[in-house]
Amino acid sequence: MSDFPKILLDNVGVENSHTLQVYRSRGGYKSAEKTLKTMKPEEVVGVVKDSGLRGRGGAGFPTGVKWGFVPQNSGKPVYLLVNADESEPGTFKDRDILDHDPHKMIEGIIIASYAVNCHDAFIYIRGEYGWIVKRVQKAVDEAYEAGLLGKDILGTGFDLEVIVHQGAGAYICGEETGLINSLEGKKGQPRIKPPFPAVVGFLDSPTVVNNVETIASLPWILEHGADAYRGIGTEKSPGTKLFSLSGPVKRPGVYELPLGTPLRELIFGEEYGQGMLPGIELKACIPGGSSVPVLTAEETMAAKLDYESLAEMGTMLGSGGCIVIGDDASMPEVLKVLLQFYHHESCGQCTPCREGTGWLDTILERMLAGKGRPGDLDLIERVCQNMAGLTICVLSDAAVMPTRSFIAKFRDEFAALLPKDEEPEEFVPIARSAEDRS
Amino acid sequence: MAKIIIDGKEWEFEEGMNLFEACTIARGGEKLPHFCYHPGLPVAGVCRMCQVEIEGVPKLQIACNSTVRDGMVVNTRSERVENTVRQILEFHLLNHPVDCPICDQVGECALQDQYMKYGLYETDVDVGDKVMKHKAQAIGEHVMLDAERCVLCSRCVRFTEHITKTNEMGIFNRGNHSEVGVAPGLSLDNDYSMCVVDLCPVGALTSRDFRFRKRVYRLSSVDSVCPGCATGCNMRIEYADGVIYRQKPRTNLAVNEYWMCDQGRLLYKHVGGDDRLEEPFVREDGELSPVGWDHLWSALKARWEGLGESRRLVLVGSPHATLEELYGLKSLLADAAGGRVLGHRLDGTEMDRDDGFLMAADRTPNDQGARRLGYEAFTASELHDAGGEDALLVILDNDLAGLDEAAAEALGSYGAVAYLGWRENATSRVADFVLPGLSYAEKDGVFVNKDGRAQRFFKAVDGPRQAREDWRLIAELGEIFGHTPTWRAHHDLLSELSARLDAFGALAGGIGEEGTLLDGDSAAKEVERG
Repeated sequence: MSDFPKILLDNVGVENSHTLQVYRSRGGYKSAEKTLKTMKPEEVVGVVKDSGLRGRGGAGFPTGVKWGFVPQNSGKPVYLLVNADESEPGTFKDRDILDHDPHKMIEGIIIASYAVNCHDAFIYIRGEYGWIVKRVQKAVDEAYEAGLLGKDILGTGFDLEVIVHQGAGAYICGEETGLINSLEGKKGQPRIKPPFPAVVGFLDSPTVVNNVETIASLPWILEHGADAYRGIGTEKSPGTKLFSLSGPVKRPGVYELPLGTPLRELIFGEEYGQGMLPGIELKACIPGGSSVPVLTAEETMAAKLDYESLAEMGTMLGSGGCIVIGDDASMPEVLKVLLQFYHHESCGQCTPCREGTGWLDTILERMLAGKGRPGDLDLIERVCQNMAGLTICVLSDAAVMPTRSFIAKFRDEFAALLPKDEEPEEFVPIARSAEDRS
Repeated sequence: MAKIIIDGKEWEFEEGMNLFEACTIARGGEKLPHFCYHPGLPVAGVCRMCQVEIEGVPKLQIACNSTVRDGMVVNTRSERVENTVRQILEFHLLNHPVDCPICDQVGECALQDQYMKYGLYETDVDVGDKVMKHKAQAIGEHVMLDAERCVLCSRCVRFTEHITKTNEMGIFNRGNHSEVGVAPGLSLDNDYSMCVVDLCPVGALTSRDFRFRKRVYRLSSVDSVCPGCATGCNMRIEYADGVIYRQKPRTNLAVNEYWMCDQGRLLYKHVGGDDRLEEPFVREDGELSPVGWDHLWSALKARWEGLGESRRLVLVGSPHATLEELYGLKSLLADAAGGRVLGHRLDGTEMDRDDGFLMAADRTPNDQGARRLGYEAFTASELHDAGGEDALLVILDNDLAGLDEAAAEALGSYGAVAYLGWRENATSRVADFVLPGLSYAEKDGVFVNKDGRAQRFFKAVDGPRQAREDWRLIAELGEIFGHTPTWRAHHDLLSELSARLDAFGALAGGIGEEGTLLDGDSAAKEVERG
């Protein structure tokens, strides 16, 4: 699997890869320069549409199509918001780009902004990524000094301001409208849609929100063309994707793979995870960040890492946060960690999510404390049913998907927490006691 | 127009109309289950109760954030919808204390009402300890908050954000620890704070004035109009056993929409106040003494006749009096009995700040009605100049002496002063005859607001036993001056004045629910308002 061009991690591992000097010495900013000097914005949108690049934040929506929703001549400025708020358990792929190759993202921002006619872009970085905020800010400063940002970029007449913003550490601010609210200084809660951000977004203006990885793919695509990008990966999921591998594997980390690569390659491949730690067998794997349905070991070995294959298996590629679970782990305990997370991170607006996440967490906590009741699994299923698809954003669904799949696929482990079907205690009427006394 | 099918029946609505409102019409006025939707506030879409099935859309949709589109097929009563509502309602109750027996909202609680219809009744809810939140917090002068009862619909927050723009309230924390409250260092003390009590669908926000005073299902209610200023906010007076317990805004999109100010809402306290004039009084030996009506009438007649051959009648109306009373005063005591109408108010008095929302600068309810009857403002010196030892001054519900010192002095220039009104004040205290009338809550009447909109209000409770309807007192006065009125009943006054006076011709066909605009100027304003 080494016969593909590295698009995202090509600079990672190079000394001082985060500096402008090193980035430029490796051909950086040439793609942006070429784009700005030789292409029209609509041509850039065309190339990105043709490339089939899909949003790497989790939803996998075609990036070029998303850009196409931005109304031209709305009389309002267009904003580009780069979503660097990755905070889902098991997802830490954007961190490598932000940390080791921030200029790749900045170059992507220039290209994307040019394409959608944006002159003010924001990078919204997860609150916990403190050191990364500093690093990205430094890179942005370097770019300003080199005339790559600000007024009249590279003498092309194109202006672009980039502002780095540190979030306050809320998962929900990674949801694009939650991010917009947060950036506006409001409580980080998703907005009701419609209207959609492409039309009414940041400061009530047309807004594009793109993931870091999506943006970082742009320089390569514009340099090599849509066809070259389509040459990698599968027909419907072209290109490469970052996967953050965690769990009891020998070599956890962030890897770049062409879409369509077998999941077992990521976990067991020599260049990647190198297999399970000694003494631990693969039991399950969450392939796309904690919000997607879990795969059994068998399914894991058969799965391919692209949007369509995983959808066929009833799960999702999501963010590419691949959490490997070994046979030493208890599935109810793993699920408890996830539910605790969603309970904690629910913004609390919509009733089914606000109450449902807490309820699921409470039931599982009770079960793990040895106080399970016979109907608990049915109750969990009923709660899940009423949380799914009924809320403003998908955090509610994100809690439901792992819950349902964990219980469906590892039901025995959950059932073991419930009391055995016992004869109900015999009801002793008071009258009989009175008889006994007489 | 868009053709849409709701629950199997075809309807035509404006394309883009809010689907929640369309469903309400299609369901014969029965609203979809909801907590957060309110027509006067921006859509929040958070309670998730108003789910409907729209053909061709896989997920259920909330009606409040959907719009009517041509060809839409909507189902609001399918099993799927009702089952979902039932389940979402269960979520609402999960951390709710269910303390209905001690909650003031009982009887007008959306949670309770909707549970009657969509309750699960047999529930699996057993979460052990519920999430604890702050209880019984006085968040402002008029409002009490119990955060545990809150369903987090955010209506109160949206009200302070978008309507009063004072932003005192917010939802703090996240998830099931979310809690409504006021921002640190602030209290909910804007002039419209009690509107959040009306907005609150549950017992989280209650009125400090009303709480624990009466179960709401024991209250009767009557439509009224606030007498507090020239806006004429529509309201309901709620009462039981002859006692008023509260006033609440009544929706009138042309006047006050859904709101009213706290000051107006609490005006009912004057109706049962300590300063009520409860009996007729006559000044005898320099002292005002309570007397029977017969005594008052004969004393007044004697006094009138005692003013001599040149005796004159001078009349002062009031911007607080009803249209009917002002008409009666003018037609009977001036036009027929030859009295001189001085005007209806002291120039420049009873004016305050216009708050740009509902509180008008003119703090009287019927200035426009009086002016359209020909009354004008007058000065204290005009009041003085009209006086004389041979003059009887009849004042209708107008505290001239309390409003202006010069006016108080001017009263001394009259041979006798008769005061008709319902509250004791500086003027009633210097009058020679005090004729106790009724408050706005004890009689029917019409006020004309600042936009020239005539609005009716109705009697809620009985007045003090000895008090009389003001129009009857005016009729009795006519008899003393030798003139019998042409009107025999209260409603005769309105029909007579609308038949006889062009300015009130618009009232001939009755007064509509939203009131009736009297003239073209205001009609234009109406169009502007949209």
